[in-house]
This record gives sequence, structure tokens and C-alpha cells, in this order.
Amino acid sequence: MRKPAVSIEVKGVRAMSELHAIPCDQVLQTLVLYIDHELATEQDYQIYQIHFQECPPCHELLVHESESLSFMQNLLRSACNEQAPEDLHDRIRRQISVMSATAQVEYFSQTTITNFSFDGTTSIQVTQEFTTEIRHDFTDGE
Amino acid sequence: MDANTSEIALVDRATETAVQQRARFERDALQYTNQLYAAALRYTKDPHDAQDLVQDTYAKAYVAFHQFEPGTNLKAWLYRILTTTFINTYRKDQRRPQISDGELEDWQIYDAASHTSDQGRSAEDVALDGIADLDVKAALAAMPEEFRMAVYLADVEGFSYKEIAEIVGVPSGTVMSRLHRGRKMLRESLAEYAKTRGFNRGKGGAGDE
Repeated sequence: MRKPAVSIEVKGVRAMSELHAIPCDQVLQTLVLYIDHELATEQDYQIYQIHFQECPPCHELLVHESESLSFMQNLLRSACNEQAPEDLHDRIRRQISVMSATAQVEYFSQTTITNFSFDGTTSIQVTQEFTTEIRHDFTDGE
Repeated sequence: MDANTSEIALVDRATETAVQQRARFERDALQYTNQLYAAALRYTKDPHDAQDLVQDTYAKAYVAFHQFEPGTNLKAWLYRILTTTFINTYRKDQRRPQISDGELEDWQIYDAASHTSDQGRSAEDVALDGIADLDVKAALAAMPEEFRMAVYLADVEGFSYKEIAEIVGVPSGTVMSRLHRGRKMLRESLAEYAKTRGFNRGKGGAGDE
């Protein structure tokens, strides 16, 4: 992120010259960072605050822009506050139950071939497949 | 932000059992279901897809929960999973042209950085006063995805630029420019809705709903 190019150190004394530590055009160009609380350092905030105290037009714009933004944010927040359907809450909980129960299930397939002979001469081959589930259930502890 | 720093002391992942981890997931992660659903609606613009997206998000989060560092921002972590899942799976038009980030490097808020610019915006806000939630949703839905996400994550969810950068997977500077342009688009679009309502319902007509 590009930081505002502010390098003047703010000391206890607020000299008039510090107003010019950051010129109006720079304040206005980066006003959104101030409003969004995205300035890099605490010192930057102090420099902007001094500027706003000393410069009514910039302060007026700050107030205006802050209000305008929070107005829009309130519009958005009240419009976009849908509640998830109860069914979704249930689905998620069920899914977690299933996932934790089968977390480490391994499946082994096994094929058995058996030869039958009813009359001693004809051979019938029967193929059976078994699936064995080995469950390492989480609820057993590890 | 970082309200859960005390959690670090309470969770020792080395000795935590699977049962405890599941309980912690249910306690800490599931409280965001409604918020994730609202975000998923913004992403997918479809209630069924939004539900599936949230369910998938929680499935992935549950599987990866052992990787989540307790005490860091769980909500942002869930939003990152939601966003990447959406981008990888649900985005209808995968080949939709992306706006190149290079175009967006100018993130300065004002087109004219002077005290005399932007007169009369207050009047615009006043006009927006009675705008319906449906109009706000429609205006948001009509925005290109990158801008819609940036505005939603910043202005509804209150994430910082850095958090949004991590959620969406772009640099902070790109977030900044998308957010700035997105807000501007939205403001203009809402003003259009307000104007239409004004025409339809006569002077000051912003009462119902």
C-alpha cells in the first residue's frame, strides 16, 4: 500500500508551519484513507488532525465525506442483512456430524469367488463383493 | 478486530481432542452463517447457489480448521474460503473478462482535489433517503464483481484493506482502487434509482416500504 508521504514529526508544539506539513491537495487526495482508518501510523493521524483544526475548508469536506460514506454504509447494511434459512443451519450442522463421524473411514473391497457344484459335474462360479468399512471414529479420541 | 486474543490461552491445539476441536468449530465458526449467507447472495446472486456456497465453505473450513491459528481473525479466514470457493466453483462465467489491475492504480478519491469540488452531494444523499432495500441490492448486483466484493467487504463487513486483500487475493493497492471506484459507481447508480423513484412517485415521493 502506498503511504501518504508524510515525514514531519509532530512534537508537542503546534507551530503554524505544521499546517503545511501536509498540503491541502494531499489531504484531499488521501482523505479516504483517513476516513477508512487506513493511514499508516498514529503520527499520520496527528498530522491530518492538525491540518483539519487549522483548515476549515478541508475540515468541512472531511465532515461531508464521512457523513456521505456512513450514509451509504448504513443503506448497504440495512439492505444486505438477509438471514440464512433455518434449513441451511440444519444442513451445515448435519454435515459436520457426518464429516466428523466418517472423518477417517477407509473402505476395503474384497472379492470372493466361490465354486459351487450341485451335481458334481457342472461348476457354477459365484462372485461376491464385500465392502468393509474401517472406522476410526473421532469420538473415540485419538 | 482480534477480540479473541484470550482464546489463545484457552486453546492448546497440541492436546485438543477431535471432539473439542469440533465443539470449538461449532461455537466459533457457525455464528457467521447468516453473514456468510448474505455475502454469498452478493457473490452468486442466487439463493440456492448461495446456500450451497455457504455449506461448501463450512465443509472446507471444517476440514482445514486444524490449520487455523487461534486468536487470528476467524471471520476473515471464513470469508477467504467463501471467496475462493466462489471464484473456483460457482462463478458462472469463468471466462468473463477481468478488468486489469493496471487500469486501477489511480486510487485518489477526488477527481479534482480542491475545496471547490463536489458541491451538492448532500442533496444527493437527501434524495437517497427513502431508497428501498431492493434498489440498493439491485444497484450492488449490477456492479462488476471485483467492485461489488470490495464495497461489500469494506462497507458492510467492515474489513480493512489488508484483510480484503487477503480474502480476495489481490494487493492492498488494488483493493483501494476497487473500493474507491466501486463506491463511486454505487453512489451514481443509487442516485439514478432515486431519480427514477422521484419521477414515478412525484415530488418527495419516498415514503413506502
